[in-house]
Amino acid sequence: MAGKIKQLIEGIIAERSKGNEMLAKVVKTKLILKGINPAHYSDQSEDDPAIIKKLENMRQNLKH
Amino acid sequence: MTIAIARSEKGTVAEAVRELMDTFGSGTMKMIIYFASTKYAPSEISAQMQSAFPLTTIFGCSSAGEIFQGKMAKGSVVAMAFNDASIDDVEVAVVKNLRRKIAVRDAYLSFERHFGEPVNEMKPSNYLGIVLVDGMCGREERLMDAIGDGTNVLFIGGSAGDDLNFQSTHVYANGKSYTDAAVLALLKPVAPFELVKTQSVREMGVELVVTKANEEQREIVEFNYRPAAQAYAEALGVSVHELAALFPSHPLGLVIDGEPYIRSPKHIAGDSVFFHCSSVEGMPLSLLKLTNLIDDTKETLAKSIAKLGGVSGVIVFNCAHRALELEFKHLTDKYGAVFAEVPTVGFNSYGEQFIGHMNQTATMIIFS
Repeated sequence: MAGKIKQLIEGIIAERSKGNEMLAKVVKTKLILKGINPAHYSDQSEDDPAIIKKLENMRQNLKH
Repeated sequence: MTIAIARSEKGTVAEAVRELMDTFGSGTMKMIIYFASTKYAPSEISAQMQSAFPLTTIFGCSSAGEIFQGKMAKGSVVAMAFNDASIDDVEVAVVKNLRRKIAVRDAYLSFERHFGEPVNEMKPSNYLGIVLVDGMCGREERLMDAIGDGTNVLFIGGSAGDDLNFQSTHVYANGKSYTDAAVLALLKPVAPFELVKTQSVREMGVELVVTKANEEQREIVEFNYRPAAQAYAEALGVSVHELAALFPSHPLGLVIDGEPYIRSPKHIAGDSVFFHCSSVEGMPLSLLKLTNLIDDTKETLAKSIAKLGGVSGVIVFNCAHRALELEFKHLTDKYGAVFAEVPTVGFNSYGEQFIGHMNQTATMIIFS
């Protein structure tokens, strides 16, 4: 399977920034500091379970 | 008074606290933040500060040098007080046992109870977070991760110091002193504010990619699939034996949209290089060289003040590495003078926080 990471990243950025550019930039910075650079993932990127887990945790933590 | 500052270098905690009280006078204060040399016993200064201002929310930490309007100091305590014309509301929470597990949920629940709003819905333009953390715990990256995952509010701050003894650093809240802990303060300032980070470096055009790391230990084992110390030394054109001497002037940085998040190297052990901040495998780190710290800081401050249209107070979390660089270059007084026209307090820290954790940086809160 491929493309799930990009999908998750886009979902997190959209959910957290709600269209606010400044917030989108902050979320991207947070991701890069975690070692996940959004620019490195495309629809063809392999579904790395470790990265997917990190992203799902991030999404989950905001919902708590 | 909206924002007021005070400083003391008296010999005892009681005398120092008395001097701060005398400077602040009898007005009602909503919040006081303070930074104190470890010459003042941590448990005593925290208890006496709270007793001196019983109706005020008080928090702070130990320092490795203090900053006060126009002056870089040592062996003192500096404090900034806010009344309700500057801070609408504030709540402080302590996150304990950082080495065991980073859990900010309880702190966030206390913020939600206090402000009556979920932290994940708070707007970063309305709220400001301050984080002060034990500078010897080595857990700042995980803490900032946890803080940032739960809210869009931006937290800024510094890691506590201990006058460069590197033995024990402390954070203060609720009249108590804590180690292995962080103090989180959530503020609702009355007027707009700016959060900035400034560092005086430029990229040298060489990138070292972390290919093997031990994140928990802040150790990089390999850059570009080669022994880390060797690859770092070669990038600088020196031998591994000469590398450590160049650490202060040539740190590494994760550069995001042109903004460096500096990782300062600490020491070499075998083939590995240990840092004051961890890096993740796959992270590209740029080789950096120092630029003019005075000019860069002055420019950053001036820009932020101009953007706000004025300033009523500044809190500075200034890396102890920067303070050492200033001492080495005999620029300490000149750096202090950068803050001469602005009510300022701050401290020299063992790490700085803004979105993430970093080194060799000054993070600042500028209140309009």
